[in-house]
Amino acid sequence: MSLLDETVEIPRRTMTLFFVIDTSGSMAGSKIGAVNDAVVNVLPMLEEISAENPDAEIKVAALEFSTTCSWLYSEPKPANEFVWQDVQANALTSMGAACKELASKLSRSGFMKSASGSFAPAIILLSDGAPTDDFESGLATLKQNNWFKAAIKVAIAIGDDADKDVLTKFTGTNEAVFTVHNIDALKQIIRVVAVTSSQIGSKSSTAGDTTKQEQVIAEVKSAVDNIGGAEVASAPATTASYDDWD
Amino acid sequence: MAELKTGDRVSLVGRIQDPVGRGQSVTIKKELGRGGQGIVYLVNFDGKDMALKWYLNAPDNYFYPNLNNNILNGAPSDAFLWPKALTERQNGSYGYVMDLRPKNYFEFGNFLMAKAKFKSFNAMLAAAMKICNGFMMLHRFGYSYQDLNDGNFFIDPQTGDVLICDNDNVMPQGEKSGIMGKARYMAPEVVAGGIPDKYSDRYSLSVILFMLFYANHPLEGAKVVACPCMTEAYEKKFYGSEAVFIYNPNDKSNLPVRGIHQNVIRRWPALPAVLRDTFTREFSEEMLRNPQKRMIEQNWEKLIATLRDSLVICPHCHEETFIEEGKNTCMDCGKPIDTSLQLKLGARNLYLTDGTKLYIDHDNTADVQVLSDPKAGLLLLKNLSSGTWAAETPSGKLKTVVPGDVMPVKAGIKISFNQNTKGEIINA
Ligand SMILES: [Zn+2]
Repeated sequence: MSLLDETVEIPRRTMTLFFVIDTSGSMAGSKIGAVNDAVVNVLPMLEEISAENPDAEIKVAALEFSTTCSWLYSEPKPANEFVWQDVQANALTSMGAACKELASKLSRSGFMKSASGSFAPAIILLSDGAPTDDFESGLATLKQNNWFKAAIKVAIAIGDDADKDVLTKFTGTNEAVFTVHNIDALKQIIRVVAVTSSQIGSKSSTAGDTTKQEQVIAEVKSAVDNIGGAEVASAPATTASYDDWD
Repeated sequence: MAELKTGDRVSLVGRIQDPVGRGQSVTIKKELGRGGQGIVYLVNFDGKDMALKWYLNAPDNYFYPNLNNNILNGAPSDAFLWPKALTERQNGSYGYVMDLRPKNYFEFGNFLMAKAKFKSFNAMLAAAMKICNGFMMLHRFGYSYQDLNDGNFFIDPQTGDVLICDNDNVMPQGEKSGIMGKARYMAPEVVAGGIPDKYSDRYSLSVILFMLFYANHPLEGAKVVACPCMTEAYEKKFYGSEAVFIYNPNDKSNLPVRGIHQNVIRRWPALPAVLRDTFTREFSEEMLRNPQKRMIEQNWEKLIATLRDSLVICPHCHEETFIEEGKNTCMDCGKPIDTSLQLKLGARNLYLTDGTKLYIDHDNTADVQVLSDPKAGLLLLKNLSSGTWAAETPSGKLKTVVPGDVMPVKAGIKISFNQNTKGEIINA
């Protein structure tokens, strides 16, 4: 057999896309329906991006949080093997607990154990409300995590009741918080954010001055112009900590 | 930004073909694909299918006149799928029209993922030659490529023919398109923030050629695989400030890893030493740090021509193998190959074994096919070129070999392939 016939695929890194989804009571009905629909529809697109990408394979993980939080699968799965199970809405918004759970899996002993290494993950947080548990301590734990620090972080605020300050704290910048006001816009923004962060997150970087997160924000922003009912958070930047001035 | 829809007409600034002048337009038929920069549409131009690249995030203003210049100057060589006409600015954006990429060409990334495989080393060498030539012509035109990467090259795995796409990022040297390629393919000085130029293109070329020949990345070994999370900061180290060639003889910290970098582990010892020596030199610390010292395209072409001269078909297993100084065993079956029958062509010696193709000139197409005539117990040379050869036998008889015709391989026959190229069959 010739040397050329024995050629194997070059090692690819893994880029894991995390959906962190608020499934509290207020999400019941059309919101949760739209999330389910959008994720199911975006999975084949992620599969395609993964299949054409010599730099990395894309895997998907999903964490839902309401009164408690739970993973849809016990490990990240390639997009083509990820069968979405519709999530149901349920009581409280334990976002702090979700942060801690996410932090526990963002490690090589958790979800990030690819033999040929990983790229930093992309994390998409969706919420329509405010945490009902101790968010600050959960986030503090998560912010110690190096995978989280390096991750592309984007939040989707569903409606005006979403606590954008909390989402801004999660993503590190209010520019990465995108607000939607109707169900169609919600479906579209999930697609755009998932596709864009997968495309950028799963490629060897451009080594330029902009981070991958900044590139994702710029692309999503320009796409948002085309989505009716979606907007970039207009609140002033609240990421900077002025604690030193107390 | 604005997406287009089926039936939209997009008007053009320039001309696609003479003598039709201004006022031309194309009509959108459907979307073919999209990336970060924009969407590629199938369009109809005057009854003909073409492709329109339409920017979603139109790059800065400098981009438009630069594209226009490139279109007016024309393609540096037929290796480029070059922009043919610019659109007017409309719907809040603009784009350009080019020919469609034929179906039998696969993205280089598909070769890396082993979804497409070269049919032969012969095809692989043809691809390498065409890429080098394309870059030589590009630099001769005063351009640099800027964002060379595995998504820009499309290769026919059967023939090795190459189409270089995304030529909107081609810029006059010294200028920066603002569109950056992947760190994996960038020269260390560009990773560190420098402006791409022909020297950095030469580095990218050597990465592409290494990956073409060895199907792994020249800087991705043990050290890089050990990095659990390849952040932008680490990429700047591994492809920039702390780049180490996997077979750096002075630094073994980044050797390929068994089970992960299988292709290069198999191919590195099997392919000719001259290739190993060249890459070892081109990825040495000295060359990584001194862009001006990197090998020019013409010398890559010479190297590839030398490799091609040493590529023969093994008479035992009928696979391809390389004959090297002091090494004439087949890299597949391990049996010794009789290389006594040769075509001596100036300083070159081309080995004549059944099935081998010979390249006499430098147009990257085979000119001679060696065949066998089992009844006569002889090898034959078939004229694959478009010119007639003049042959002179040892006894002084003159013969002509027209295109498609064959002649026997007998020591002492002299062949004029053309005015300038004369060879002699020898039994060494
Ligand atoms: Zn053999």
